[in-house]
Amino acid sequence: MLELVGVRHRYAARVVLDLERFAIPPGALIAMVGPNGSGKSTLLRLLALLERPTEGEVRLDGRAVSGGPARVRPGTVARRSVTLVEQRPILLQGTVRDNLGFGLRARGMRRTEVNRVTEDVAARLGVTPLLERRRHELSEGEVQRVAVARALAVEPRVLLLDEPVSSADRAAAQTLYAALREERRRRPLAICLASHQLEDAYRWADDVRALAEGKLSPVTPENLFRVELPLTGAGDLKHVRVGAIEIAAMTDKTGPAILAVPPTDILVSREPLASSARNVFRGRVIRLARQRAGAVHVTVDVGVELVAVVTEEAAHDLQLMPGGPVVLAFKASAVRVF
Amino acid sequence: MDFLGEGLRRALALLLGGDAEVSGVVFLTLKVAVTATLTACAIGLPLGFFLATRPFWGRRAAFTLVNTALAFPTVVTGLLLFGLLSRRGPLGGLGWLYTWQAIALGDVCIALPIAAALSAAAVQGVDPRIRRTAQTLGASAWRTAWAVAREARFALAAVITAAFGHVIAEIGSAMIVGGNIRGSTRTLTTAIALYTGQGDFGLALALGVILLVLALLVNIALQVLQGQGHA
Repeated sequence: MLELVGVRHRYAARVVLDLERFAIPPGALIAMVGPNGSGKSTLLRLLALLERPTEGEVRLDGRAVSGGPARVRPGTVARRSVTLVEQRPILLQGTVRDNLGFGLRARGMRRTEVNRVTEDVAARLGVTPLLERRRHELSEGEVQRVAVARALAVEPRVLLLDEPVSSADRAAAQTLYAALREERRRRPLAICLASHQLEDAYRWADDVRALAEGKLSPVTPENLFRVELPLTGAGDLKHVRVGAIEIAAMTDKTGPAILAVPPTDILVSREPLASSARNVFRGRVIRLARQRAGAVHVTVDVGVELVAVVTEEAAHDLQLMPGGPVVLAFKASAVRVF
Repeated sequence: MDFLGEGLRRALALLLGGDAEVSGVVFLTLKVAVTATLTACAIGLPLGFFLATRPFWGRRAAFTLVNTALAFPTVVTGLLLFGLLSRRGPLGGLGWLYTWQAIALGDVCIALPIAAALSAAAVQGVDPRIRRTAQTLGASAWRTAWAVAREARFALAAVITAAFGHVIAEIGSAMIVGGNIRGSTRTLTTAIALYTGQGDFGLALALGVILLVLALLVNIALQVLQGQGHA
């Protein structure tokens, strides 16, 4: 188990990550989603033991391996349990073959064994034709695939991937995900993947977590908005400007905050309903996506994009289709502010 | 302009004739320069790597100190070293004053800040992802440093060249702690100064030409090495 405990990480005076606890259990398949600058890459670098948290600690199997009161410096042994593939990975000097063997040679593996593992992992990731090439002879997508193969070659317990398909076409992305699934069938492997593509995250991961402004969202990752909460309001009811609309929320907070609307709390109808919901918006369906069995994610443009989750049966009854008009409604008390 | 032509003719004759004194001076110059460059780089390159990659309290002050040392006058280095190596000095027991070791030590003091400051700059110029990549693949601190050094190899070769260039052309410290003793501590630069002062312009010019040729040969050798390591 790899976990961050009580981590507040700063760059200069700015807090970029503030997490009470973030754990990757053995064999977990976690997707981290969040906009650019939400702290995903920093989180992965802390988990990969490449940076020490300013406050708090990183634990591996319950033992502090980085940070903490003793300011533990991560050692090579702990680092060898976790491998990170960065969003824009870089290849080291030499050929692709040299790169795939780098981590193995670092572990003192014999040359024949290094060659065997290198050939094997290259075949699984479809990079065998690239083995004798150097980094300036590869496209960005190829570098990304080689970097994943290089990480898998050392067989880490936890694999961290930062936007692993950002430079890949659809086919390359499928090859990569298939290779990761195959790797998990071969041996126990926990994967934590950072992505800004929610649909990919849902399709691929068992557990989707959202990060916003360096904090974990207490709700699902859709419908997160960075807002400025007004000082005034009727009691705790505040009307908050979000893009072209105004959302009513119950909160005693003021100033900068993240506002979240859980998709399961949004009611979808064809016409406005008489109800207690303070938030009612007309809009048009942008897309429908079947994420899990029986559930459909409906993305609606109401001035901003909102995602609602409905059953397949409801989607059918309402005859939801892209471009069709709908009404979304949710209560002010359903809006989460953090 | 006649004396210039005469000087060049004399230089050519000395170079082709294989003069024993000139050979001795050239050999000593090379011995001192190579020893000092290797020693300075052996200490300065790791020091530069440390400065560039390890955050520690007082790092900025250390950078300032090293960069300031770059501009330290070599005669002052020689003067301080003279005090240390003289019989009553703390290092007097070594008996190095007016030996080639004293000249080499002075050159190490001059080349060390060059090696440290320029290698720190070279390492800082390497993409930080290289270091992170090596670390995340489980490389030890040494292997990580090697991966970074391979990326910076052209800049590091330039550091070695610069250090060698400084020590082979150095005169202030060599004159003070070496004493310019014939057959013992006379290097190319101190010999040039001496023969120019004595009016033997031809010999001084010949030694100057040899100095330039040596510097050129070392630079060519380093460039060949860089070419072999090209990725």
